[in-house]
Amino acid sequence: MPRRYLLVKILYGRALTDQQFHDALNASVRTHFGDIGFARIDPRIIKSDQTTATSIVSCERSAIRELESALALITDCEGASMAVLVLAVSGTIKGLRKRRVR
Amino acid sequence: MAQTLKIAGYSTVGLTIPTGLLPERVKSMRQTFQDQGIATALRIDLGSTSRTELLRSLRRFRNIYDVVGVKCVNARVATVASRDRRVDVVFFDPVMHNVRFNHSLARLLHGALEVNLIASLLTLTDTGILFRLRKAIAVAQEHNVKVVLSSGARNAEMVRAPLQLSAIASTLGLSETASVAGVSSIPLSIITENVKKRKPENVEEGVKIIVSSRR
Repeated sequence: MPRRYLLVKILYGRALTDQQFHDALNASVRTHFGDIGFARIDPRIIKSDQTTATSIVSCERSAIRELESALALITDCEGASMAVLVLAVSGTIKGLRKRRVR
Repeated sequence: MAQTLKIAGYSTVGLTIPTGLLPERVKSMRQTFQDQGIATALRIDLGSTSRTELLRSLRRFRNIYDVVGVKCVNARVATVASRDRRVDVVFFDPVMHNVRFNHSLARLLHGALEVNLIASLLTLTDTGILFRLRKAIAVAQEHNVKVVLSSGARNAEMVRAPLQLSAIASTLGLSETASVAGVSSIPLSIITENVKKRKPENVEEGVKIIVSSRR
């Protein structure tokens, strides 16, 4: 199935591990779209960069709007407030890397 | 916050200014956003509780601010605000159960309906909020009412990218085109129109001075 890749910026006071972001993302998707929605969206964290606080997240192409919503509705992680901003969306990881360089 | 807005990809933002704020303070606030390359539009949110109070506020503030929003706290205010051409956007507090955006208001509305998505969804845990937002969006779509999507952010943590706001609106039932227009063309056209109207050469709607008699 074709996928979409999102470049996201994480605004969080402390250093965030991949596992923490993974848990926060999965919890948001499950809360707002349920287990069936989770299976349909199929969110995956491809790569994270701690220095720039950015991550590349992927999902099913047809469920891009749901993933964007779920990312917007992440509010906290382990008690501290957190916000996730979608910076760019692309059909390939290479496309996102180009944008990150820009 | 200006920096976060820049990262999120905003080019213009509406700054809600309290009425008593000193002009110097307003200027410095606008400068902060300008330094980040973000244009600002001054906005006022009127929370009048009666028809007379609302009309008085509109007379007083319409020419000072770029955008006039009315918070509909009761049905009477909602009706007057929807009917009045000076009102740019009307919005409803999702917590208030006594007044909602319904078909009769949609038929009257001259301006646009504003939906504060993030402020509503993040600060409130009531599940009925989603239902009320869905209902308001469905009514607006049925009557072809313009919908402005706003984050209603009061701090940097509440800022979300325009793309995300439109995504939330589409998952709540707004069409793809309307949700994109709600964060781009509709708010921009409101600001552009009002800035044009506030220019000194503008006499009234459709009438403007082209050549001044003074040399």
